[in-house]
Amino acid sequence: MDRPIPIGTTVVMERTGETMEEMYVNMGPQHPSTHGVLRLMLKLDGEYIIDCIPYIGYLHRCHEKIGENRNYTQIIPYTDRLDYLASMSMNFGYVLAVERLMGQKIPERAEYMRVILAELQRIASHLIWLGTFGLDLGNFTIFMYCFREREMILDLFESVTGQRLNYSFYRIGGMPMDFPETFLTDCQVFLTWFKPRLPEYDAIMTDNILFQKRVQGVGISPPQVAVDYGLSGPMLRACGIKWDLRRNDPYSIYDRFEFDIPVFDTCDVWARYMVRRKEMEESVKIVEQALAQLPPGEVMAKMPKTIKPPAGQIYSRAESPRGEIGFYIISDGSPKPYRYKVRSPAYVNLSALPEMLKGCLVADCVAVLGSVDIVLGEVDR
Amino acid sequence: MPKCLSARLPWFEEMTPEEILGQLKQKIGDAITQSEVKGIEVRLTVKPEQSWEVCRLVRDIGFEYLNCISGADWMTHLEVVYDLSSLQHLNKVHLRVPVDRDNSVVRTVTDIWRGANWHERECYDLFGVRFDGHPDLRRILLPEDWVGYPLRKDYTDERLVPYTEYGMEEKLAKAEGEKAAPKDAKSLQPPAPAKPATA
Amino acid sequence: MMTFASLVERFYAAMAAWGIPWIVPTLIVMVIVVSVVLAYISVAAMFMIWWERKISAHIQVRYGPMRVGGWHGWAQSIADGIKLLLKEDLIPAGADKVVFVLAPMVVFGATVAAYVTIPWAPGLIVRDLNIGILYMVSISSLVVVGIIMAGWSSNNKYATLGALRSAAQAVSYEVPLVLSLLGPVMIAGTMSMGKLVEAQSGRWFGVLPGWFVFPQIVAFLIYFTCALAECNRLPFDIPEAESELVAGFHVEYSGMRFAMFFLAEYANMFVVSAIATTVFLGGWHGPWIPLPGLPREVAHGLFGLVWFQVKCYFLIFVMMWLRWTLARLRVDQLMAFAWKVLLPISFANLIVTGLVLVLGKQALLYVGGIAILLLAAILLAARPAARTVRVGERT
Repeated sequence: MDRPIPIGTTVVMERTGETMEEMYVNMGPQHPSTHGVLRLMLKLDGEYIIDCIPYIGYLHRCHEKIGENRNYTQIIPYTDRLDYLASMSMNFGYVLAVERLMGQKIPERAEYMRVILAELQRIASHLIWLGTFGLDLGNFTIFMYCFREREMILDLFESVTGQRLNYSFYRIGGMPMDFPETFLTDCQVFLTWFKPRLPEYDAIMTDNILFQKRVQGVGISPPQVAVDYGLSGPMLRACGIKWDLRRNDPYSIYDRFEFDIPVFDTCDVWARYMVRRKEMEESVKIVEQALAQLPPGEVMAKMPKTIKPPAGQIYSRAESPRGEIGFYIISDGSPKPYRYKVRSPAYVNLSALPEMLKGCLVADCVAVLGSVDIVLGEVDR
Repeated sequence: MPKCLSARLPWFEEMTPEEILGQLKQKIGDAITQSEVKGIEVRLTVKPEQSWEVCRLVRDIGFEYLNCISGADWMTHLEVVYDLSSLQHLNKVHLRVPVDRDNSVVRTVTDIWRGANWHERECYDLFGVRFDGHPDLRRILLPEDWVGYPLRKDYTDERLVPYTEYGMEEKLAKAEGEKAAPKDAKSLQPPAPAKPATA
Repeated sequence: MMTFASLVERFYAAMAAWGIPWIVPTLIVMVIVVSVVLAYISVAAMFMIWWERKISAHIQVRYGPMRVGGWHGWAQSIADGIKLLLKEDLIPAGADKVVFVLAPMVVFGATVAAYVTIPWAPGLIVRDLNIGILYMVSISSLVVVGIIMAGWSSNNKYATLGALRSAAQAVSYEVPLVLSLLGPVMIAGTMSMGKLVEAQSGRWFGVLPGWFVFPQIVAFLIYFTCALAECNRLPFDIPEAESELVAGFHVEYSGMRFAMFFLAEYANMFVVSAIATTVFLGGWHGPWIPLPGLPREVAHGLFGLVWFQVKCYFLIFVMMWLRWTLARLRVDQLMAFAWKVLLPISFANLIVTGLVLVLGKQALLYVGGIAILLLAAILLAARPAARTVRVGERT
């Protein structure tokens, strides 16, 4: 009869250096909570995590190599696929980089459109995050609630762009077309619907004592560690560091709006949850202001047929829902970038995961990973 | 500087990029081969032997946040590019370290910024720059048995499909059609099975 | 009185009169009873699965199954069952085959065995053991053995972790569970399921029905919490925590073997609800009227059957409601909750119940006051670090 190999016997030990006290568990790439194809090698002592080694690259698709072989306009659809839950923000970051490289100014109305769409996208992205975070903690209902609201945002995007996930809507020099006539009223309807929903999420998640017990004091990354690792976005703001590129390195027209930057200083999963939860409110504020101020006019600047930025290089950054999305572009004056590099926020945030996981339980691993909010399309590029 | 940035380092407000550059040059001038100030950005080119010292110094004068480490292939040499900024002011430092193509070794900065770990692994993975002293220098995005460094400009791989401009395919097909009798059956065959590249 | 037991006795007597050895009627009765119970379990479990899907769907602002069978997808579970039956039976190469095959049977068998002492209606009980409740609790805790067998024999680390969690959880939660059941047992002075129900036939203060839930509300809440843990339902579903351990102990099972775990889970839900109904909610008691054309006992039995089911399914509904509202606890919090909160409270409840029984009803107020103080003290001591942070508050 075939006997199962008891965990921790010599056969296993020879391969992994495992001892009776330690157990290696391979989490992913096929695992419901790794948010895509991420593989984590967990070294366990009972249920406690001693060490964690992330393996990434399962979704690597040579984004940067492809970018070097396409012209500047053709890269836009590829940026959609970076962070497929926040395509608008990726487009925004990329066109911003090229425009900065060219010194291009774009029309007022296009700027407002960009901000409105990017902030709606931020809400949609945070909604997905909230829903899947609920799934990670075993709360299945919040997921459906979040997807209901996200669906409405996607409907709005569909009316503007014709797409529901990968919009490719931003252009170098502006926007390809204006909002449809119904968009402004639709958007107002959505905002009036959405604002009372946030307390509903609180009722099922934030105020739930079981949820609070699960997330408080878990996955701590002190501010020094956060800066050391270069964490960005909500991860950084959850460490009590008030740093938001929309405010601190204002791009586009973000300096015209009044909004708070939510900061929490408990550095744990709870703080990250609260930061994102509050950011949705702030994004609503921005969208409302932008809708009120939306000026009439053109949406596309006069651009040459082939975009040839002057020779030079730029590292341009913008605030995506996950943090600092940076594009490093070297131009040699030709229609194609000589070097095109993406600094993706999830990649950097994920690199700090082993630091946050040490000493946690397996169950916390899921919560901490969920709080990092990774999108593997962006991590693996 | 925008008002919203509370001046947590008051002395830094007076420091312009030029002054930062001056301070750097004064302290470690012999390592810097080229320098330039562009807007709020200080751009430096640094000798590879002293890159670590320069990074350390830049960190100590206030650029505690490592944005990105990227590579670039200039055919004659490789370049490791560090983008540094701060969470307290808006100035940036753009640090370029040219390295030899055949023997590309730079000292790691993981002991200065722990976040450099994955950036350096990625740079090693795609450009083949080896980081001396890196705790875990393995490929990160590509499979561990991959041959070659894909982002080098001379990288070749039989699986790479050459890119043709929009509209060029039809033109080429037409030109071929005129040249010889159509052999569609052959051209429709799938490409040869994948083999590891030998670059 | 026409009861199930008397019917069986008559059957035996008739058979003996015909000169047939006793083994034959015994076997016939056993086969009939087992088939009826199994049929009930399958139908009830399939209904519960469909019901849970509908409940979860309506909680989550969607419809759930709507297609199969026409009316609100009523045939969905049947279709799923057929699918599971027809699926390939996979046994992993590294598994301990004998234990792997036995595990779902142990789980299912233990669950089915608990149905022996469920008092469905007045007189309708398979075997009214004089230690019925003890039998039920102990036989249903055999499920854990099956779970550990499944987890260990799968030779899968996730399954092993799930099984270990399950063992820890079962050991912890059985203790307050049994202690909470002792209160009603002390009041009724019997462990027989039938007599426990009969003891609840009166009225409290002439108004409330004589259910034990009213004097034993604390015990009822403790029992219900532990029952959730026994069934591995959220928020105590850590042995099969989907987002952590993929599927926990049954990760390697597929097809019919998986279906057996699944059926057993729902059958087990019914068992714990039946215990709660019997011990706390007055079993089959409820208003009834004699039906025309039927003997009095039969009418009473029919109403009792309906009332018992209604109460059971109400408790099952509450379990499902909780599952789709709450988040999962962590394994260490789960243990702490069992040992630091539930166990002291159930002991206090036991002491108070005993004192009241000994001292009589005059001591009720006196003891009640002490009990409340005790409970408050225990609760305060058990959770010193609990803090509720509202939105907008800086932590």
